[in-house]
Amino acid sequence: MRTPVTHMQLSPDMTVNQLIEQFKNSGSFGAGRLASACDIFEKMARDPKCTIQLALAGAMVPAGLRKLIADMIRLRLIDVLVSTGANMVHDLIEATGGHHYKGHWFVDDYLLYKYHIYRIYDVFVPEEDFVKADEALVEMLDEIAAKTKKKPLSTNELMGEIGARLKDKNSIVRSAYEAKVPIFLPAMRDSEFAYIHRVHQRRSEAGEALMVDAFREVPELLDITSRSERLGMICLGGGVPRNSVQHAALMTGKGLDYSVVITTDRPEPGGLSGSTIEETISWGKVKYKANKTMVISDALIAFPLMVASVMERLGKGFHRKGSP
Amino acid sequence: MHMTRTSQKTGKICGNCRYHNTYDYPDSVFCFARFTERKNPVVSILFSCDEWENKLQECNCLDDYNKKPKKKAK
Repeated sequence: MRTPVTHMQLSPDMTVNQLIEQFKNSGSFGAGRLASACDIFEKMARDPKCTIQLALAGAMVPAGLRKLIADMIRLRLIDVLVSTGANMVHDLIEATGGHHYKGHWFVDDYLLYKYHIYRIYDVFVPEEDFVKADEALVEMLDEIAAKTKKKPLSTNELMGEIGARLKDKNSIVRSAYEAKVPIFLPAMRDSEFAYIHRVHQRRSEAGEALMVDAFREVPELLDITSRSERLGMICLGGGVPRNSVQHAALMTGKGLDYSVVITTDRPEPGGLSGSTIEETISWGKVKYKANKTMVISDALIAFPLMVASVMERLGKGFHRKGSP
Repeated sequence: MHMTRTSQKTGKICGNCRYHNTYDYPDSVFCFARFTERKNPVVSILFSCDEWENKLQECNCLDDYNKKPKKKAK
C-alpha cells in the first residue's frame, strides 16, 4: 500500500517505450504485466551470459512476425529457436516465392475450399504456394540425402542444410543459418515437413531417403543448456516448443532464470500452454527467484510491442555477442 | 480434340483426379503422383494418365478454366 497507481499520460509524439513506461506507471492488469515482460527481456538482452531461447507456437509466421524474428536472430536477441514445424514451413513458403494474404475471418470456407485456399483465422494461403514450397523442399531433401549418405540428421542439422540453400534474407531459417543460431523442431513431423519427407522418400531408391532422427536434437539442446550460465525463455503460445525449452532446463538441473510467456491459454484444463509459471516452479523448470511474468494477450500484439520497447532501450548500435 | 464443357466436368482429366493440386491456376495442376515418379509434375488441367482416380474435389478449377478465353490455334 505504498505505491499508488500512477495514471497513464499519453502524448501525440510518444514512442513505444514511452507508452510502455506509462503501462509500468499504472502497473495494473495486462499493461503492468507487459511492462514487466519488457523489463525482463531487457535484462536478458543485457546479460551476456544468458542464452535467450524463443519458444514459438501458433501461427506467428503467417500472421506477420517472420521478419521480426529473422531480425532478432541477426541481432542475437534470440540465441536458440525452438519452434513448431509449421512456423518454419510458413517461413519456407515465403522463402520459395509464396505469400500469406490478408483475408477475413467471416467468409464462406466452402468457397475457399473450392478455390484451394487455406484459412488461418483471417490470413489466407493459396494451396499453390504450399505446392511450390513442397516442390522446392522435396528437391532440397533429395540433394541433402545425396550429400549426407544415410547419416541421420537432427532437426537442427536439417534446418542448417535448408538454410544454406536459401537466398531470402528475410527468412528465419536463412538468418539462423547465417547467425549460427540453432533451430529445433521437436514436433517436426506434425507439419507439412512430414508430407514433404514422405514425397522425398517415395522418389528415393530403397534405403536412400534422408534420415531425420527426432531424438538427436535432445543431446544438442541439453548441451547448449548445460553450457549456458543463465537461461532465458520467451514463449509465444506454448505447446511442444515451451515444454522442450523448460524440460531441457529441468533435465540439466538448472531451471530458467528468466521467463516471459505470452499466451491466451488458461491453466484450468491442465495443459502446458496455459500453465502458470508458478506451476512450472513446482517441477524445477523455472527457478523460484527467476525474473518471470505471464502476459495474457494475443502474442501478435504484445510481442512486437515488447521487442520495440526493448530495442528502443538498447539503442541502434546494440548487438549481442550471443550465448553460450 | 474438342472437349465439351460437360465432358470436361466428368471426364478422365487431371481436373477431376484426386491427386490434383493447383499450379498456375486454373490452367495447370501439380501432380504429386508424377512428382514421386520424377516425371514433370506440372501438366495441363485437361491432361490425364493411367493413375487417374475419379474423386471430384468439388473445386472451381475446371469451371474457371472453361470461363477463360482460349487462344485460337493457328
